[in-house]
Amino acid sequence: MTIHLSVWRQAGPESSGTFENYTVNDVNEHMSFLELLDVLNEMLVRKGELPVEFDHDCREGICGSCGLVINGIAHGPQKRTAACQLHMRHFKDGDTIVVEPWRAEGFPIIRDLVVDRTAFDRIIEAGGYVSVNTGNAPDANAVLVPRDDVDRAFDYASCIGCGACVAACPNASASLFTAAKIAHLALLPQGDPERTHRVAAMVDQMQEEGFGDCSNYAECEAVCPKGISISSIALMRREYMKYLVSSTEA
Amino acid sequence: MTQTRSKLRSLITSQVGKKLLTGITGLALVVFVLEHMLGNLQFFAGDDAYNAYAHFLISLGPVLWVVEITLLVFLLTHMGLGINIWISSRRARSSKYLKSQSVGEPSHQTMSSRSMLVTGLIIGIFLVIHLASFKYGAYYETTVNGTVMRDLARLMRLKFHNPAYAFGYPAVVLILALHLRHGIWSAFQSIGAMRPSISVPAYALSGIFGVGIGVGFLIVPIAIYFDWV
Amino acid sequence: MPPVLAPKVPPGRLEEKWDKYKSRVKLVNPANKRNHTVLVVGTGLAGASAAATLAELGYRVKSFCIQDSPRRAHSIAAQGGINAAKNYPNDGDTIWRLFYDTIKGGDYRSREANVYRLAQVSNEIIDQCVAQGVPFAREYGGLLDNRSFGGAQVSRTFYARGQTGQQLLLGAYQAMSRQVAEGNVEMFARREMLDLVLVDGHARGIVTRNLVTGQIERHLGDAVLLCTGGYGNVYYLSTNAQNSNVTAAWRCHRRGAFFANPCFTQIHPTCIPVSGDYQSKLTLMSESLRNDGRVWVPKNPGDERPPSQIPEEDRDYFLERRYPSFGNLVPRDVASRNAKYACDEGRGVGSTKLAVYLDFKNSIERLGRHKIEERYGNLFEMYERITGEDPYELPMRIYPAVHYTMGGLWVDYELMTTVPGLFVLGEANFSDHGANRLGASALMQGLADGYFIIPYTLGNYIAGTKLDEVDTSHNSFSEVEAEARDRIDRLLSIKGNKTVTEYHRELGSIMWDDVGMSRNENGLKSAIGRIASLREEYWQNVLVPGDATYHNKYLEFAGRVADFLELGELMACDALHRTESCGGHFREEYQTKDGEAVRNDDQMTYVAAWEFSQEEQESKMHMEHLEFENVRLTTRSYK
Ligand SMILES: Cc1cc2nc3c(=O)[nH]c(=O)nc-3n(C[C@H](O)[C@H](O)[C@H](O)COP(=O)(O)OP(=O)(O)OC[C@H]3O[C@@H](n4cnc5c(N)ncnc54)[C@H](O)[C@@H]3O)c2cc1C
Ligand code: HEM
Ligand code: HEM
Ligand code: SF4
Ligand code: F3S
Ligand code: FES
Repeated sequence: MTIHLSVWRQAGPESSGTFENYTVNDVNEHMSFLELLDVLNEMLVRKGELPVEFDHDCREGICGSCGLVINGIAHGPQKRTAACQLHMRHFKDGDTIVVEPWRAEGFPIIRDLVVDRTAFDRIIEAGGYVSVNTGNAPDANAVLVPRDDVDRAFDYASCIGCGACVAACPNASASLFTAAKIAHLALLPQGDPERTHRVAAMVDQMQEEGFGDCSNYAECEAVCPKGISISSIALMRREYMKYLVSSTEA
Repeated sequence: MTQTRSKLRSLITSQVGKKLLTGITGLALVVFVLEHMLGNLQFFAGDDAYNAYAHFLISLGPVLWVVEITLLVFLLTHMGLGINIWISSRRARSSKYLKSQSVGEPSHQTMSSRSMLVTGLIIGIFLVIHLASFKYGAYYETTVNGTVMRDLARLMRLKFHNPAYAFGYPAVVLILALHLRHGIWSAFQSIGAMRPSISVPAYALSGIFGVGIGVGFLIVPIAIYFDWV
Repeated sequence: MPPVLAPKVPPGRLEEKWDKYKSRVKLVNPANKRNHTVLVVGTGLAGASAAATLAELGYRVKSFCIQDSPRRAHSIAAQGGINAAKNYPNDGDTIWRLFYDTIKGGDYRSREANVYRLAQVSNEIIDQCVAQGVPFAREYGGLLDNRSFGGAQVSRTFYARGQTGQQLLLGAYQAMSRQVAEGNVEMFARREMLDLVLVDGHARGIVTRNLVTGQIERHLGDAVLLCTGGYGNVYYLSTNAQNSNVTAAWRCHRRGAFFANPCFTQIHPTCIPVSGDYQSKLTLMSESLRNDGRVWVPKNPGDERPPSQIPEEDRDYFLERRYPSFGNLVPRDVASRNAKYACDEGRGVGSTKLAVYLDFKNSIERLGRHKIEERYGNLFEMYERITGEDPYELPMRIYPAVHYTMGGLWVDYELMTTVPGLFVLGEANFSDHGANRLGASALMQGLADGYFIIPYTLGNYIAGTKLDEVDTSHNSFSEVEAEARDRIDRLLSIKGNKTVTEYHRELGSIMWDDVGMSRNENGLKSAIGRIASLREEYWQNVLVPGDATYHNKYLEFAGRVADFLELGELMACDALHRTESCGGHFREEYQTKDGEAVRNDDQMTYVAAWEFSQEEQESKMHMEHLEFENVRLTTRSYK
């Protein structure tokens, strides 16, 4: 099939960008969306033009590197699917597809479709861990954890840090990402001792990074490739209330 | 871990604290409008009954003042935070998408949720006019069962025979319904009361309540205008 | 006779070596640790765990990765699980058994002392991860659950759904993040290590490229830890992530670190087959599928009928036929090879004819669709997402794919290479898996190296070595940086006719055809020649777009492919020299009448460690003799 692409091109963080139009012929329906971009890039390179820069690594939906807004939807129209796992069979011959980067103050554009997501790392650095030095751990079975708790914790822990939640949120809020980590650790006994401090610090950090507030649009859950539920955001708010009434020093 | 701000400041300025507050104030306002709507329905029980009800409320005196002041503070807080959230969210995405659409289920990105600020502001403006028209409006007196009291029923009949009021009010309360369609569910999510198991029915209930409140308000002016009561 | 390499294994009984080592090792004064900088390249399981632990101990750590975040290292993709000898199921597991299975699984080409140590620390890994909040699967009572995994008769594999690698890596990443917050780890993401800097023969620094700005940077340290993963992408298509590469290891090899057993490659039998030449990577599906799926191809070459119309008598369940006792559950290498044979005979299926069926029809009839859904639901979903076919209705099509590289930089017992101060951890080293890796043991090894081994062995090196005060203006840095710049400039200035991807694809097909699942002398010799000429052509005719001053992915790839073109030749040489079939290395000349691998224990029980030689054409081989004092070498049989 033939696919027309309208792709955001931006030379650098300070440059202003524009959309460029390209046409790719002989698109195979079994191609992934990133493979379509590969084909486009090969074409551009051969013509002596600059290829479209985009982030990718695992290409199996787990590393969280890829991130494209495809026709106005983060990661494209297929639910619970990262862009690298989206296949061309979900498009029609002759379609025009608009491809944009994640857009958010917290994710400055580096080039074309590549954005800087280090804000997420700093949110984790603010408290998204259990403070346990190597070698200090008790036997793994010393603390029992109910299976349901682990299952729920896992649901939240499966976040791949892709940033689609921010990209899709009308407010560019990082609430789902932040809440997923808080919920993962809050549901396990290992995360208990630091829970109040963790939520306070991580919530502060996401705001400092320039992400917006959460108005409960739940668009984030809808585009999340791992289907992380916004119940994590509710849980984060309960944790925050615990912090507000706790004796944890501000 | 990084130094965090004081707890009171956290409540007012942190992204989660702000939502706790919009949620709590929003819910309190919902309780008020629900009560107000049900109160208005007393109009169908007759003018005397309605006036007696209003008089009863006024006679609560200091209790009512406390409630009124609380509501006012809540309303202002709610409004302030609503605007603040909106502004900081615009700031968080200064460059817009060329194309942007919702992927659908389970997204709650709807006309209701996307228009919260606009619907809220309309309600705010309405409130000023509304209070000027009624609470601080023309003062008529009547006697019910030997007690002299304000004849609010008469004021209502007067106002709602004016088509601007008779149709303006329903328009506004429909906008209120739109505000509450997302708002009621959202408030529970904001205060952390939402669970996955109840979220879907709760969202449906939020719609029913929102529309219910709207319709409950709406029928009084319409009924008066068409002289059904 | 090639020169002999000494692995510095401590004396004493196998069981006591590590404990004795630990109690005698030199220690760095705690107050002094802050004065030592350690450069940790890579943030996979090995790198992240090492960076976190060393920082906790007080070292200053600088950590580097290619991706935009350390959390995205390739380890994130591991699915199945991680082994440990906890014996929670009480089914008779011991440290010895885990050790023995790993040695045997490696077809007796790994170092006893290392493997034993790995088994010893395996339990602590699980403790550590659980304490970090890794949500391993549990039973209803709240205790950890285990499952059995290829090659073991006990249930010793801990898992977190199909995302074990992700959860373990996030645990390590979070531990490292805590150290970043405390200022003990300085993180350099979107950096590629281009070369190693030696000062007076010691590894003292690295030269990196900032992948966003293109700037070349110098970093000084007291030791360099290479945790840069495997080189499966030399085959172009593999289950590895796109950024997986050999560059860091290869550059160190060129600076004097020996490369051991480069030809030992693992090919995984159950991957989703290639669908066209645009294909960029292969997706692994858990081996567990073979528990209930039956592998078959049509009996007759050229049978074009859809699978449902091929009657039983025209099907060949080749694994069941050839290996009646193990059937579809033969080890990875055996299953892979037989699938290749079937396709070579023209009996492959699907549009490319490079696939075999994995059929669940019988299991669905026997157990019900529900049961199958419960066991493999997510895998079936993944398959459908990628292929657009419903595996409940149609048999899956699978084909083997390159998955893991057992070879890597040679390290001694302390994980140090032949370059003092250069340590190698995780998949990048060669040490623990011999000629074949057992499932769920790479995660174990990466974390063992990072959490529990390097803290001791690095301390021993630092405490025992007097290093000169130098800074990054030292001549060695300038020279290495100039070379790195020169290489980039050369790549950019060629402006030839063929893209990097085309070359990579070509290299991949040579590697896959002749240095892949089964190898022979002629093929290898021809591969060596073809790779060399491809490499020559590459440096004349490659087309790299743009320049080096901004994010330029194709420039990154260009450098990596250049190194793969050198590595590929060494792999072929190694494969040619190893005149036996063992583990992942199958030489057609060395097989029994019915096609089983034949090892040559008398002559080949050694590690081949290759030294790069700048002047001579050929790399020089060194040998590390593998002494098996504790296990008896046996032949694998799955008949
Ligand atoms: C699909 C799949 C499934 C697997 N499943 C399992 C399993 O179930 N159980 C199991 O035990 N094993 C499994 N494995 C194997 C296992 O995942 C890997 O062997 C292991 O994760 C390697 O970890 P590592 O830390 O050595 O390297 P990696 O995780 O590969 O990390 C390499 C790091 O080095 C960095 N790097 C590389 N080159 C450079 C450079 N030049 N400059 C700077 N940084 C650089 C990268 O950015 C990255 O951070 C699987 C592998 C695959 C492909
Ligand atoms: C004075 C005018 C008002 C303004 C400007 C206003 C504005 C807003 C805005 C912008 C929001 C969304 C907040 C967000 O995006 O997170 C909101 C939420 C809400 N509003 Fe209002 N509003 C007003 C009046 C009211 C009234 C009178 C009610 C009740 C009857 C009400 C009930 C709610 C509820 C329940 C929510 C949901 C709270 C939450 O999401 O946490 N609002 N309002
Ligand atoms: C058709 C609809 C409505 C009618 C007929 C109506 C009628 C009245 C009347 C008669 C009063 C005066 C009561 C008094 O002074 O004692 C009043 C007060 C008030 N109304 Fe309404 N109202 C309507 C809708 C609304 C709506 C939609 C809101 C808010 C969103 C609202 C908010 C208020 C408030 C805040 C007061 C002042 C209450 C107080 O001072 O205690 N009303 N209303
Ligand atoms: S919550 Fe979902 S969308 Fe957001 S970063 Fe995590 S995986 Fe991506
Ligand atoms: S879409 Fe945005 S508003 Fe909240 S619920 Fe999700 S972060
Ligand atoms: S490339 Fe890894 S998630 Fe898409």
